[in-house]
Amino acid sequence: MSVVGSTWGRLTPPGKALAIALPVLTALSIGLLAVVVLLGPAVVTFLGDNLPLVRFVVAATAVLLLTIPTAFLIIYMEMKVIAFMNLRIGPDRVGPYGSALSVVHGLKVLAKEDFTPTGADRIVFTWAPVVVFLASVMSLLVIPFAPGLFGQDFNIALLYFFAIGGLSVVGLLMAGWASFNKYSLLGGLRSAAQVISYEIPLTLSVVGLIILAGTMSLNRLVLDQSGSILDWFVFRQPLGALIFFIAATAEANRTPFDLTEADSEIVAGFATEYSGMRFGFFFFAEYVNVFIISALTVTLFFGGWNAPFDWPFPVAVSLDPASLGIWLLVLVAVVPVAGTLFFAAPLWVANSRLPAWQALVIGFVLFNLAVVAVGLGLAFVSFDWVVGLAWFFLKTYVFVYTFVWMRGTLPRVRIDQLMNFAWKWLLPASLLNLFVTALAVVILAK
Amino acid sequence: MPTRHEPAAPYEIPAHPSADDPRVTLEEQLGVFEPIPPYPPRTEREAEFYTLRDGEMFINMGPQHPSTHGVLRVVLKLNGEQVVDLDPVLGYLHRGVEKLCENADFHQAICYMDPLEYVSSLFCEWPAVIAFEKLLDVQVPRRAEYIRVLSTELNRVASHALFMGWMALDLGGLTPILYSFIERDEIVEMLAALTGQRMLFNYFRIGGVNGDLNHEFMSRLGDWMSRATEQIEANLTLLNENEIFVRRMRGLGVLDRETALRMAVSGPNLRASGVPFDVRRAHPYSVFPELEFDIPTRQEGDCLARYLLRMDEIRQSLRIIDQCLHEMPDGPVMARVPRLLRARPGRAFAAVEGPRGLYGVHAISDGTDQPFRMRIHDPSFVNLQLVPLLMPGNLVADTMAIMASLDPIMGGIDK
Repeated sequence: MSVVGSTWGRLTPPGKALAIALPVLTALSIGLLAVVVLLGPAVVTFLGDNLPLVRFVVAATAVLLLTIPTAFLIIYMEMKVIAFMNLRIGPDRVGPYGSALSVVHGLKVLAKEDFTPTGADRIVFTWAPVVVFLASVMSLLVIPFAPGLFGQDFNIALLYFFAIGGLSVVGLLMAGWASFNKYSLLGGLRSAAQVISYEIPLTLSVVGLIILAGTMSLNRLVLDQSGSILDWFVFRQPLGALIFFIAATAEANRTPFDLTEADSEIVAGFATEYSGMRFGFFFFAEYVNVFIISALTVTLFFGGWNAPFDWPFPVAVSLDPASLGIWLLVLVAVVPVAGTLFFAAPLWVANSRLPAWQALVIGFVLFNLAVVAVGLGLAFVSFDWVVGLAWFFLKTYVFVYTFVWMRGTLPRVRIDQLMNFAWKWLLPASLLNLFVTALAVVILAK
Repeated sequence: MPTRHEPAAPYEIPAHPSADDPRVTLEEQLGVFEPIPPYPPRTEREAEFYTLRDGEMFINMGPQHPSTHGVLRVVLKLNGEQVVDLDPVLGYLHRGVEKLCENADFHQAICYMDPLEYVSSLFCEWPAVIAFEKLLDVQVPRRAEYIRVLSTELNRVASHALFMGWMALDLGGLTPILYSFIERDEIVEMLAALTGQRMLFNYFRIGGVNGDLNHEFMSRLGDWMSRATEQIEANLTLLNENEIFVRRMRGLGVLDRETALRMAVSGPNLRASGVPFDVRRAHPYSVFPELEFDIPTRQEGDCLARYLLRMDEIRQSLRIIDQCLHEMPDGPVMARVPRLLRARPGRAFAAVEGPRGLYGVHAISDGTDQPFRMRIHDPSFVNLQLVPLLMPGNLVADTMAIMASLDPIMGGIDK
């Protein structure tokens, strides 16, 4: 028995694993270091030469990450707003005013069993939520959030948007068919019929707008609306905006057009058999869709990131740190301490049971928050894109609120009424809108 | 859809398999997919129903479904979204109430009547109590009769208010159910102050009621009555003027006068078809001859008429409550009744007008202290027979609306 053999024999199982893993990890690290040293400059040059590619990857990641807080916020908003409309309290257990409830919901959904029913088509069943979710995330790529802040600026962005938006119905149909459940099947077929019917008035309602603007790039459309509030397209295309909003509601399967998941009729529609994170993806996609159609309504008809009025107090922050001289040192040394004490002292005085160190910690946190708030305020008045982003989200959430409001107020329409409304009312109205717009453009051009 | 699965590999089931043998239960679970009964069809109707033509499929609505009222299972035969045929399957809530009553004495039998209609319990106690009083020749004090009318009319308002919310919920509206629960909760709380229970009151006794009106009940009632009309009208404007709601209900599930009479329908469903039949007027009982109220009727016979008629009934109930409060006489609330009751041999039938129709009890006594036989006539059961008449030809979404407009309560149907 060699020395190596006896040592190996005395090791515990984790020790054995570590003994194997350590050399491998060391070798890998050295290899990685070598690769970075040798290929690093080449990679940097490559990335520098292919900036659009880098931009796309960064944008896609950012958009993917944006969906999480968006969905959480809208879910919380829906729970709370509908609760107030129902004269309930709504979520109030987790976090302040229950605001962490959607996060906890997310964790719960992750921890749940991922169940596939017997008889389901496993592959299609697994991929359906992915298709639905990706379709909504990909639509986010073209939305201009602020001046210069967008994923990609196509000249056919609007067309891309409708094409990708229509893709989600494939996912719903997949889910409905693969679940091996008749309620799911009904839900999937309903969504197919509904989404395809409402695609037509949805698309036709913006054609008038495209004629007016002469472009399909969302960025250009927003730039066209800059100026005063009267330049927004909603004042030039009121009928188009109305049709767009109604058709978009149906497109996102929201009340009163939520036949796809009508819980009093077909249980949960296409999502009946889904559980765990697969259901979570459907849920996410639904709320991201709400955000997207609100964002698109704002972009197309309500001025995008343009402010409805000019900021009345022009604040020019022109402070040169160098001019302060020695006072800069005093500022840096004294202000944090003084600020912390300023916030901590009243707490310590008011609460006799609070130890001094805790009061100081709280005071420090409050001071930092105050600095961040002041900084954000300065940024708001100093940077274009921050102002644009703020206005964009403000307007978008007004529309999100409208959707939530409709959910709390309206009953559901029937499938034949839904179809009649699409084909007999919305389609002729959107054609009329298109005709009148085209006529006006021709007459005014002469 | 795929058909029944074959077992993946042949295996031996032991001669006497245990009930929790996983292999055995797996096979049973796979069989659940088929709504077709495992036995050969017993009747012609069953054979016809369980034969699928091209493009048709079965779907099980219930017993666990978000919007069947209670545990009712309806096997729907669908062609696309259209209901071709359907078969209600009852019995999931069967408790054998009639048999239980035969093994209880007359006092105990009353408390078995409460869970029949868990939304309006007092109406189920009433016919039983009247029937027993007839058998025992008991005279009820007038104050007790007034209290009975007062409490039952309150219960009717609670039931109809809840109906409004259910109706909207089955059509997809989330909010009205919570608004109508406010009304119901106020009434239920004041009845709890009167009877001691929120849901299954067990308040009526043979010869009177369990307790006189107390201060808490009266103060709650006065509080509520001062704003009831206003509040209910305000709730109604939420729904009655909603275009989607009205368009979905109008012309849906039309029940004509002849069919309604032929099917022995009673209550608001009958009056919505134009027949002004109300037990309170047709076969007066208690103090109803002295009270002033109208019997609202509507001619259309559709879901909207049934809904609006119930809302009219709420207004009439408020009128009756008002009169009861004004004309309530003084006196005892309980007749002098011996503790051990021995009824004369014979039979008695009593019927009252409940929020769902005619509640009847036919009690037979053989001279002992227990009813020899009790037959309970429940209006929900009779009204549920309309479902196969009204639903075929409509869409899946409408089955819920029609079911809600008939307002069945499964506790009474399965007994």
